[in-house]
Amino acid sequence: MFLRLVADSFGRRPRHKLLTGAALALGMGVATAALSVSLDVGDRLAKEFRSLGANLLVTPQADSLPLEIGGVDYRPVNAGAYLPESDLPKLKKIFWHNNIMGFAPVLEVPAKAMVSGRDDVLERSANPLSWPTIPLIGTWASHAIHLEDGRGFETGVERTNPWWQLMKGRWFTEGARECVVGKNLARKAGSHVGGKFVPGLPMGDSLVVYRGGNEAPLFLKAVGILDSGGPEDDVVIVPLSIAQQLAAKPGQYRKLYVSALTKPEDASAKRDPKSFTPAEYDRWFCTPYISSIAFQIQQELPGTDVRVIRRVAEGEGQVLTRVRMLLWLVTGAALLAAALAVGASAAASVIERRTEIGLMKALGAGSGTVGFLLAAEQLLLALVGGGIGYALGIILARMLGQKIFGAAPEPSLIVFLVVIALAAGVTLLGSALPLRRASRYEPAPILRGE
Amino acid sequence: MASYRTANRAMFWRILRRLLGANRGRLLVILLALGAGAAVTAALFNLQIDAKRRLTTEFRSFGANVIIAPASTGQASGTATISETLLEHFPNQTSLRSIPRAAFLYAIAGVTAFSGEGTDGTKLGTAPVVIAGYRFLADDLKQIVPHQVIEGDNAVILDSETCEIGEKVASQFHLHVSAVLKLKTEKAEVSCVVSQVRSFGGIEDGQIFIPLKTVQRLAGLPQQVSLIEVVVPGTPAQIEHYLDDLRNQFPDAEVRPIRQFTEGEAKVYDRISGLLTATVAIVLLLTGLCVMAAMTNVAMERKMDVGLMKAIGGSMRRVLRLFLAEAALLGLVGGVIGAGLGIVLSMGLGKAVFGVAARPRLIVYPVAVALTIIVAILSAFPLRRLASIRPASVFRGEA
Repeated sequence: MFLRLVADSFGRRPRHKLLTGAALALGMGVATAALSVSLDVGDRLAKEFRSLGANLLVTPQADSLPLEIGGVDYRPVNAGAYLPESDLPKLKKIFWHNNIMGFAPVLEVPAKAMVSGRDDVLERSANPLSWPTIPLIGTWASHAIHLEDGRGFETGVERTNPWWQLMKGRWFTEGARECVVGKNLARKAGSHVGGKFVPGLPMGDSLVVYRGGNEAPLFLKAVGILDSGGPEDDVVIVPLSIAQQLAAKPGQYRKLYVSALTKPEDASAKRDPKSFTPAEYDRWFCTPYISSIAFQIQQELPGTDVRVIRRVAEGEGQVLTRVRMLLWLVTGAALLAAALAVGASAAASVIERRTEIGLMKALGAGSGTVGFLLAAEQLLLALVGGGIGYALGIILARMLGQKIFGAAPEPSLIVFLVVIALAAGVTLLGSALPLRRASRYEPAPILRGE
Repeated sequence: MASYRTANRAMFWRILRRLLGANRGRLLVILLALGAGAAVTAALFNLQIDAKRRLTTEFRSFGANVIIAPASTGQASGTATISETLLEHFPNQTSLRSIPRAAFLYAIAGVTAFSGEGTDGTKLGTAPVVIAGYRFLADDLKQIVPHQVIEGDNAVILDSETCEIGEKVASQFHLHVSAVLKLKTEKAEVSCVVSQVRSFGGIEDGQIFIPLKTVQRLAGLPQQVSLIEVVVPGTPAQIEHYLDDLRNQFPDAEVRPIRQFTEGEAKVYDRISGLLTATVAIVLLLTGLCVMAAMTNVAMERKMDVGLMKAIGGSMRRVLRLFLAEAALLGLVGGVIGAGLGIVLSMGLGKAVFGVAARPRLIVYPVAVALTIIVAILSAFPLRRLASIRPASVFRGEA
């Protein structure tokens, strides 16, 4: 009988039920879309922020102080410590290895060098000791690493320094005798480097690097021109292996830039890890905070000193926290509006059914039975409307994610449960107040139309 | 005839008043739904306009995004300098926000470190270190070069007696706050007390920070600086515009954006503002539709009223006009209250997110009210479907 009454109510007033359902579905659609976007946005934006480049800098622990002014290290090559290149694949073995987006080792070598292939400079190039000193930076442009699980991983400055653009040409090939020239050095008219005039090194010409003693000079063909907007515009970028050869430090590097996906640090994560209790330590270790990733890298690469590039990391943390908060507030506002509208709709449908309630009571139904019946109807509606709304919201959130980040958020069970619970709660709450009043109705005056 | 029309109008308003007053529960419910919609519309509109502007300020937590350096076709890079007076002569930006900036002069000095004051301090070591002389026009150097203070007071008094050191310098010499450093170059020699240890995560970790004047004396370069770092706030287009102003102002120097930040920020800004606009648009659209569906549902419940009016001789047009007027009135009231609340809400939200209350925009208010009225009227329109209703069957309870 109970079920029949409910079914009858739906069958008799299909349009009303449809409208209440539509209001529910739309409201819950807003809730789903806003929730999905908010839940997903942190990770997506963290990825976007990697266009700011590396946020961790790894240097040897036993290193002497760098004497770097204007991008040129004034330390002699034999001063300071180096790190082994062969350790680098270990970076992809730390707990948060999936958050390591890229890394690039760097070895800087100042070298006596000259441009070949142009008549006006040939006579000057006779004595290598009079050649200007040009800073060379050895690094990976795009380097394939084979991981233990058989997968490959591409990394290099293209990942860690995305703002480096090639104005012309291409990156050098790993290990080939090629180089990429900073845009200031590439000027045809030439420029001053280290107090000496260097003729321009346009693409296609070769850089002749003096290797000391009687060794034959090294010819590096310029295959690209780099625009970095920074001090790298005044240097020549060469493959890491060439720089190692020139510095006589095979298989070693001096600095390592790491670009990692992180979660903004909260107050507790900013404390010294040594002061954590074991539980706090576990939580800290298992959260991709920049400090915990730095700690894990330091553990994996012995003898290193891992520093957070504050400039990048702090700004990123701040903006990310703000944007997430903003979206949560938008979500909150959307939930509130949807809840109020749906609640109003539910309340209205109960208010208008006074006659029906009066009739039921006149036929001997108690207030409890009437309330139960109406609540069951509303709940059924909430489930159906909430389900449709969830589907609608997911579609919208996917469209949004696809359009803005090029990747759709995954549908999540939590959102579904939250939305269904919200739908049920809001409709029940909306009907509760009018229902309470309805239970006090005397059937006779209502039926008389008073 | 005129009196008939007046009486007619008076009747119209009287019926309207009764319609509104007849069922207070329903009135409350309708106002609640419309008001909520208006509040969210106004709050989100206001917040969205404000957030975009505020975000560009937020991005300045990355520090400097523009560098003014000596033109690169000069002498050897690294040793060229520009005049310190450039720091004072910045072009004004259209908005009155100040432009934080700092001048740096770099030199290499032989540094001897002592663990404490005077002669009783033990010598900790000697090494060449990069010294950075600085002077800034901002509230804090952190605005221009973000860093964390690991040791020492947060407030620093810029005088010739004290210096701040990078983390690497500290670990190299095992230095702590109140250690004494002797800095020696070919030109001069000074000593200072360490007042802060700073962590930058860049080359600055290996530098000693002292007032610009001192380094100028040590390097023998009075009134000269190596570079000026500038924090230019604004959207990518505004920054580009200001760069042109700077280039005109300082034709002899090279003005270059730090591409790492200007480009990265532009990308992230586009994403965030796109995300915000899209989310707000979707939320508003769905909220509007949701309110409309709820209102339509309420309107459709009023068969009885329509039936009665038709029974006593009201034409469908007049009946509809009555209901539309009622809806518009409700929309107006709900909108005015809701939008007012929404703007207050957005100010609170702005304060919660950005620490500064969002500035209320006047344009938001009428837009939100108008949208609410439109939604209310549109949701009353389905009553037209009741035109075919037969009064008698309504009263018999058949329809």
